[in-house]
Amino acid sequence: MHKAKETWSQNKSTFVFEEGKLASFSKESNFESSHRVYKDGIVGIHYHVGKVEDAEGYARAEANLVRERPYPFELETGKRARDKREKVMSDQELQETALNCMKYLNETYPKFRVKLKFTGTEYDRRAENDLGMDYRSQDYAIGVSASFKHADSKNVNDGYFSFNMRNFDEKVFRQVADDYFANYETVLEIPEEIILDVTYYGMVGFFSAHLNGEELARGTSLFTGKIGEKLFADDFTLAHVTRDQDCWFNPFWDGDGYVLPNDELVLVENGVLKTGFADKKTAKRYNVEHTGPAYHSFADIPGPGGLSLQIKRSEKTVKELLDGRVCVIPVDYTSSGFDEKGEFTMSIMNSLLFDGEKVLGRLPEFKIKTTAFDLFGKGFIGVGSDQPVYYDKQLLVKVEKV
Amino acid sequence: MDYHFEFPKDLYAEVRMEERYEIWLAIRNGELDNDGESAEVGAMVRVFDGNMWYTATTNSFEEIQQQLDALAKVAVPNPDIYEHKVVKEFEVNRDEIFTYDKESDLRKVTRNQWKEIVDGYIDKCVDPEDPEVTFWIGSINGQHERKRLITSKGTDVAWDAQCCGLSVYFGFTVDGITSYGGFNTITMTVPELLGHEKEILKKKAMYLDYAKNAKDVEAGEYECILAPIVTAMFTHESFGHKSEADYMLTDKTLAEEWVLGKKVGSEKVTICDDGRLLHHGYVPYDDEGTKAGKTYLIKEGVLTGRLHDAKSASIMGEKKTGNSRAQDYHFQPIVRMTNTYMEAGTDKLEDMIAGIKDGVYVVDVSNGTGNSTFVMNPTLCYRIRDGKVCEPIRVHMLTGSVFQTLYDVDAVADDFELFDQYQCGKSGQGVRVSAGGPSIRVKKLSIS
Repeated sequence: MHKAKETWSQNKSTFVFEEGKLASFSKESNFESSHRVYKDGIVGIHYHVGKVEDAEGYARAEANLVRERPYPFELETGKRARDKREKVMSDQELQETALNCMKYLNETYPKFRVKLKFTGTEYDRRAENDLGMDYRSQDYAIGVSASFKHADSKNVNDGYFSFNMRNFDEKVFRQVADDYFANYETVLEIPEEIILDVTYYGMVGFFSAHLNGEELARGTSLFTGKIGEKLFADDFTLAHVTRDQDCWFNPFWDGDGYVLPNDELVLVENGVLKTGFADKKTAKRYNVEHTGPAYHSFADIPGPGGLSLQIKRSEKTVKELLDGRVCVIPVDYTSSGFDEKGEFTMSIMNSLLFDGEKVLGRLPEFKIKTTAFDLFGKGFIGVGSDQPVYYDKQLLVKVEKV
Repeated sequence: MDYHFEFPKDLYAEVRMEERYEIWLAIRNGELDNDGESAEVGAMVRVFDGNMWYTATTNSFEEIQQQLDALAKVAVPNPDIYEHKVVKEFEVNRDEIFTYDKESDLRKVTRNQWKEIVDGYIDKCVDPEDPEVTFWIGSINGQHERKRLITSKGTDVAWDAQCCGLSVYFGFTVDGITSYGGFNTITMTVPELLGHEKEILKKKAMYLDYAKNAKDVEAGEYECILAPIVTAMFTHESFGHKSEADYMLTDKTLAEEWVLGKKVGSEKVTICDDGRLLHHGYVPYDDEGTKAGKTYLIKEGVLTGRLHDAKSASIMGEKKTGNSRAQDYHFQPIVRMTNTYMEAGTDKLEDMIAGIKDGVYVVDVSNGTGNSTFVMNPTLCYRIRDGKVCEPIRVHMLTGSVFQTLYDVDAVADDFELFDQYQCGKSGQGVRVSAGGPSIRVKKLSIS
């Protein structure tokens, strides 16, 4: 019989501003644990919110062996610790920073009603077992989110921006606010050629589903039978990455305790589909290579998932990628997601037009359509080496206006 | 248990204690994929000094007093706090409503009994040898929660709620393309989860037909029939969010646009919110301690009310409605819907369809969002030609202007249904809601 334990602790301080004033301050402290007992290919699990003594946690986990949750795999034995914290702010420092930012908005952009939230989150994640595995990941970041509405708008909300920084810089906040608000009242015509400029986390979710080893094996993936084929643009490379700078509040090990060699699993390289992904359970069931990742479940056995997908960034800046063209940054939009054929529609209620250096103004409502294969194929322009507007990676893709 | 707290002087304070139990099981492609349960206790402690709220959370009820004392130290004492307009709005109620603490308490159902239910559906509705089905999952879950709110003004209310979910979903692969669809429901008690085999098999057949025969739709504007489940989402997304008063505070543009008494839609449209109904949005007392009631938001096309918490009611000079809700003890309450629905009309669905020469019948929908333009993502649609329902069509998105669409409802059927499988997101918080309505006909919606 072996024992393992995973813990998650998080301390949060949040300042919320409403109608331009500080409305609330919240402090939150969370601790969760998962005690696990492995015996004869099965695992007993006890998930607990709040503190629990190890003896009690393991005893309850052992009692849960009766559920017969299968886990016929060798346990990991690695040792590693990552501390990604750069600058941890006291509540007083965070409040001062937040007040400065709100003051800037109140004085510079009085025509906007902004619900502004500043959250400092400190996180500590650990995993250990009695075979020697000992992992720890610590992180701290300030998260800023702002939902805004122009005074003259009949919408309940006109848009939203948010970003995280490990070492908060008020200058970045002011620059993002300037990008969103300075030329907001200028309404422009929708350009003929639509280049969309978006964070890509939602869009690469398409790959999470279709590169899942189970989907590939059962023939329910659009990529079944296509591993090794060139399906996307020459300069499109996609990987699951657990490097510090790309992994916010997530540990470097997966739900099986597996750590990626070099923190990277390349899934698409220069447009060629290289591999799907499989956790230990999927790999065994469908007789495919184990690559990780597995999602973390504190209450049950892990399963396939938990990808942190990153598109390889271009060496060119957003301005260089645009090469004299303009792009559309949606700030209030709803997408259909990708349908069964990989088709994608987005209704863009509010958006900004950006020329690579500055936001020129706002666009009327319109819709676009594309497909996953076009987005990352003939429509793919690249992910800029810089992040000039919303302090995050900016994916540029050509799409069709409906 | 009996709890007594020493509330800080010259501050308003409240303690919201929650106990939650959850169980879940999923059988995916023949294998028990998820099997777990959890129990959690937690509390949010809030202190208000007239300017700001100060909050803290804890997973130990024994630490609540300590948290109250700590918050009181950072708040600014205010001798007139009970004269503050928001604090004056807080009701004082003392009550206990435990609906699910006897036979219907889902915590009394064993894990094996839960599994028997889902196994039973799989036996009757899934054929593992069926070549047309390349993926399937049957899942079941239950959640039971108890809440208690104690305030320094004297409120002490406790109540419980629970819900059970059942889902049977299929993947059908035709020519290398896999489409998914199936049945899901949420009920308040475990026995209500039984007996859905016919509905599951009907949905399975409809989605298989869609996978085999759906044609791409030509984007454009169409006269549409929305099935009750689609009307429910339309009601929630298109108008429900517009009725949440916290969006309007100090906002002249919205306040002028949504003046009570203004005609905002067809006289066939009546929309209500009622937290008292024993459905997924059941909230007998909201998270500020206000007793729930029925609020008419639109009556025969005229704007008659909106949803409030104490703050919005005090600022707008309107009545509280019991709609201050938090996702759980990690969150502060904000204005939210509960059970929101469009009332039934008298029209007959067959007549409504017969009256359409060229249109779209929207039968099922996955999700939606709402602002001045609402967007819904349908999962099952059919073309209507010359008054008859024809082939399934593939529709990505259904959109319309809230301002126009409420006027464009020209028929409201008598086939009202209330659906509990909704979770509503706002400001990073998801809360249980239900939404309902009858079939309706809308003169024009944008389909793409």
